[in-house]
Amino acid sequence: MSEGNAKILQFAPFESFVSPTFWHKLAELKLDHDRLSDAKRSIFGHYTNRKASRCLLEVDYSAYNSSAQPPKFSHGAVGTIYNKNTIEEFKALDKTALLAEEGKCLLDDMNSGRVLNDASLLARFFVLSFADLKSHSYYYWFAFPCPLTPTLQLQCDALCLKELPNARQYAEAIRLLPADQQNFFVLYANEQENVWEARSLSAVLTQFDEQQSQHYYYCFADASEYENPSWLMRNYVAMLLQQCPSLVGRTLKFLGVRYDQQMQLDNSLIWQVVQAESSCNEQLQFVGWEVNRNGKMGPRMVSMRDSMDPAKLAENSINLNLKLMKWRLVPDLNLDIMAQSKCLLFGAGTLGCAVARNLLSWGFKHITLLDNGKVGYSNPVRQSLYTHADAVAGNRMKATTAATRLLDINPSAVCHGHVLEIPMPGHTIGEALRQQTEEHLQLIEQQVQQHDVIFLLTDSRESRWLPTLLGAAQQKIVINAALGFDSYLVMRHGSTRQEVGDVGNKEIAGLKCIGGEQLGCYFCNDVTAPGNSLKDRTLDQQCTVTRPGVSNIAASYAVELLVALLQHPQRDLAPAYYANSRNQQQQQPQLPEGLLGILPHSIRGMLCNYENILPATQKFAQCIACSKHVLDAYREEGHAFLFKTFETAKYLEDLTGISEFKRLNSEIIDFDDDKFDFSEDDED
Amino acid sequence: MAIVNLLVFNHFWIGICTSANGKIVSMTTLTWPEFLYQAKQVLEISNELNDNWILCEKDEQEPNSYLKYTQKIKGKASEDLISVEYHIVYSISYQVPVLYFQAHRSDGSLLDLEATWKTFLPDTSRSELYQMLTQMEHPVLFRPFMAFHPCRTTEVLAQFGEPSENVLITFISLYGPYVQLNLANAYGLHSQINK
Repeated sequence: MSEGNAKILQFAPFESFVSPTFWHKLAELKLDHDRLSDAKRSIFGHYTNRKASRCLLEVDYSAYNSSAQPPKFSHGAVGTIYNKNTIEEFKALDKTALLAEEGKCLLDDMNSGRVLNDASLLARFFVLSFADLKSHSYYYWFAFPCPLTPTLQLQCDALCLKELPNARQYAEAIRLLPADQQNFFVLYANEQENVWEARSLSAVLTQFDEQQSQHYYYCFADASEYENPSWLMRNYVAMLLQQCPSLVGRTLKFLGVRYDQQMQLDNSLIWQVVQAESSCNEQLQFVGWEVNRNGKMGPRMVSMRDSMDPAKLAENSINLNLKLMKWRLVPDLNLDIMAQSKCLLFGAGTLGCAVARNLLSWGFKHITLLDNGKVGYSNPVRQSLYTHADAVAGNRMKATTAATRLLDINPSAVCHGHVLEIPMPGHTIGEALRQQTEEHLQLIEQQVQQHDVIFLLTDSRESRWLPTLLGAAQQKIVINAALGFDSYLVMRHGSTRQEVGDVGNKEIAGLKCIGGEQLGCYFCNDVTAPGNSLKDRTLDQQCTVTRPGVSNIAASYAVELLVALLQHPQRDLAPAYYANSRNQQQQQPQLPEGLLGILPHSIRGMLCNYENILPATQKFAQCIACSKHVLDAYREEGHAFLFKTFETAKYLEDLTGISEFKRLNSEIIDFDDDKFDFSEDDED
Repeated sequence: MAIVNLLVFNHFWIGICTSANGKIVSMTTLTWPEFLYQAKQVLEISNELNDNWILCEKDEQEPNSYLKYTQKIKGKASEDLISVEYHIVYSISYQVPVLYFQAHRSDGSLLDLEATWKTFLPDTSRSELYQMLTQMEHPVLFRPFMAFHPCRTTEVLAQFGEPSENVLITFISLYGPYVQLNLANAYGLHSQINK
């Protein structure tokens, strides 16, 4: 408004608005159809002039259809996508030349009169893109080509349709026009003769009547919400002046048709403009590349990983499931602890498979399995990570197969399997195998070192000895699960960490409290060194003869016990409580509860009466796996010490002094819970 | 139409979810044919009012038809324009309508749960939001969508005493405003007139 009439009309540039489905469909077409071809492809976009926001041109999956199908209240736009094969081609492409090439097509459509039959050609756009289908990143740049024609002078400020005295007649005339012509048309408004009539572009322009042209309103569906008309009008003017050169220098009335939510036209705007000089078609330049988010000329990039990468989708859904538990039921649950804790599973049999799956359910990401077995025919029905085909193949190792299956279930997990023998006390190692055993020992030690939690899930008592020792020596959390025919034992080993400062475990009347560092391990209650437990046993004792439910129950308890421990502020140093009075008259005091309830030392259960008991037991000073004697000997002598125990289990008994102990007290030490016969067998 | 503050009930959210099964109260539940009938009614009114509700019909099976509405909004957190697609879907297990929605930015990226919360309900405290606005699998499209959990819908609807002529309109008027889905008053009037 600075210089009166000299105000120049400016346009609201189109902004691209892309639906996720546009990228979904592009990825599908590239993979299934285009493959290595980067030929251009015609697409359709749409824009709306009902309740318009900004000045948008939208594309979605329907862009790739063979004909335009704009949604309700929208109008079609004709486009092209140039999807390049590499980011280099995308970058290197001559942008000016591409814009000029597209602009010439637009001019051709105007010159040939094709736009009169299909006015959506005026709403021309194109996309230069590169789809990185591996990372689900899309680089793209929209352009809305437009000839750089002489400026338009505004004769007066934009006028609102409702300010016209006969606004109703205008609106009614427009309503009568068929929907497919509503994008561009001409309104003949002769106030003197009381005629208001909407006419199609072709009807008006093929035989242009100069006499009547003063009554013409050049109408277009205006996608702009601003005072300025949408970019479309620029091409519209260029087309009109190219079709009717006599209009150059004359005042032209443009009506930007804008509907509100109730489909009222009141807010449509009228601009009266003059283009003083004609444009020279020969040297026409083009404009129209869209600016990026920073307002600069340049492409955009969007990562669609969250909605397109199946692994990411799975990860998000899994996390959401766990978060729901946190949000709705346990607000203080720390899910990161589970995601970060690395678990090492000794044994990939029935227990190993079940524990691994439960770990995945809880959001554990790092799972490593150690096992020396192959998948056999009897395995798949009980061992939930294997199939019959694995057994038929004949050479599938459990550890590696299980790791692969865990990744099949959750691709974002980090799972490994190592095939190795766990050396056992009393299982003499011949000279020929010494080298291999050394290597396996090193690998086992290294794995224990690299993990936070050790699960003991093997099928014999003596194979648990080395991991128990290593877990104690390296101060790891150790969870043990062992099975009988219809019974199970799940326990956390006592910690070997030193209590920092005075935690002062709460004493509760009627309850005995054992600090986490005082709790026993699997071997603490045992007065014999692990010998060859597979020897001298009947068949039913040697291989797994358990009620099938037992392993799943024990595996579930094992993982839940770990989670409760990890959520406890003292972790493995958390004390365990048990009732020290058997007085049934007395009210049993409540066991102290943490975030997820109580944290017992061990769970011993029976299927025959569906009962659990929760004993807590002290460390045994002469334990053959976790006592000071053993840990010191291991620290001092290393593998040499281990090989001595492999030679004969008696060595351990002598070292710890159990031999003496056993001789003196063999009658006193007796399992008071002898009905729990833990054969600790997992699987053959 | 009055808007009930859904947030005040949240302390009892979980408890009611579980106990609702056992209760026999005359609640505002819908059968699938009723849902479909009322959805078509909404569609008719929308067409009369020149609004843009659409009935998406995947097939004849229960519950594979749902009402869809799309609009652009400006987020409260930023100036970015966001496109939101709202679906009114039938829940077989709860026998109520469920409001599912999904929002995306101009580049096609979806708003995740955090961004959705920030956009629509920046002033409400988080713990309350966790209770009602969550992510669930869309029962027709099998993709994750944002949704208002349906476990309290029957009670919220039942608070309107007389069963309304069109439960879907009542439902949308109650839940929609939380996510900027505002149904014109004319919908309520229309369903009265059709009576």
